[in-house]
Amino acid sequence: MKGKKALYIAFIVVGLCFAAASLILGETIPNSVGGTLMGSGSGMAAIGLTQLLMLHLDTKDPAQARKKEIEETDERNVAIRRRAKALSGDALQWAVIVAAWVSLGIDAPLWVTLAAIGTFVMKSALEVYLVVRYQREM
Amino acid sequence: MKNRLEELRKARGLRQEELAEELAVSRQTIGSLENGRYNPSILLAFKLSRYFGVPIEEIFIYEEEPS
Repeated sequence: MKGKKALYIAFIVVGLCFAAASLILGETIPNSVGGTLMGSGSGMAAIGLTQLLMLHLDTKDPAQARKKEIEETDERNVAIRRRAKALSGDALQWAVIVAAWVSLGIDAPLWVTLAAIGTFVMKSALEVYLVVRYQREM
Repeated sequence: MKNRLEELRKARGLRQEELAEELAVSRQTIGSLENGRYNPSILLAFKLSRYFGVPIEEIFIYEEEPS
C-alpha cells in the first residue's frame, strides 16, 4: 500500500515537472518537444492523482476494497480478460496487415507500409517468444 | 462438466454471494460454475471440496464424451 502511494505521488510530481518544464522552456524548445512534455506530464499527473484518490477511497471502505480485489483476482474474470486481450491482439494484428495493403493501394508513403509490416512481424515474433517461454515454464 | 454445486450450496442454506465471499471469488463465477458454463481451476475445485467437506469427484461429475 505504501509502495503504491509513493509510486502515485512520484507520478504526480514527475508529471507536474514535465508540464512545468514545457511552460518554462516555452519558445526555447521545439513545439513537438514542448507538446510531448506537456502531454505526457499532464497525463502522468492525472493518472497519479486518480490512482491516489482510488487508494484513498479503498482505505475508507475496506469492504468495497476487498470486493474490488476479488473482482480483479477472480480466476474466471482473469481468464475472460486474458482471452479478450488475446483475441483483440489477433484482430489488431490482422487489421495492421489490412492497413499495409490499403496503404499500398492508396500510394501512401513507403514508411507507412513498412511500419505496418514491421508491427505485424514484431507481434508475431513476440508471440513465438512467449509461446516458447510458456512452454518452458509450464 | 456437470456438478452438484447448486445442490450443495442450497443444502447449506447459502446464497451465491455468501459462497463467493467464502471462497474469495465473484458471485458470477459461482453462477457460471453452477450452470456449467465455466469449469474451475484445480485450485478452486479443491477449495470447493474442502469447503463442503466432500471429495472433488462428488462435486464435479466427469462424463467422457462418446468417441
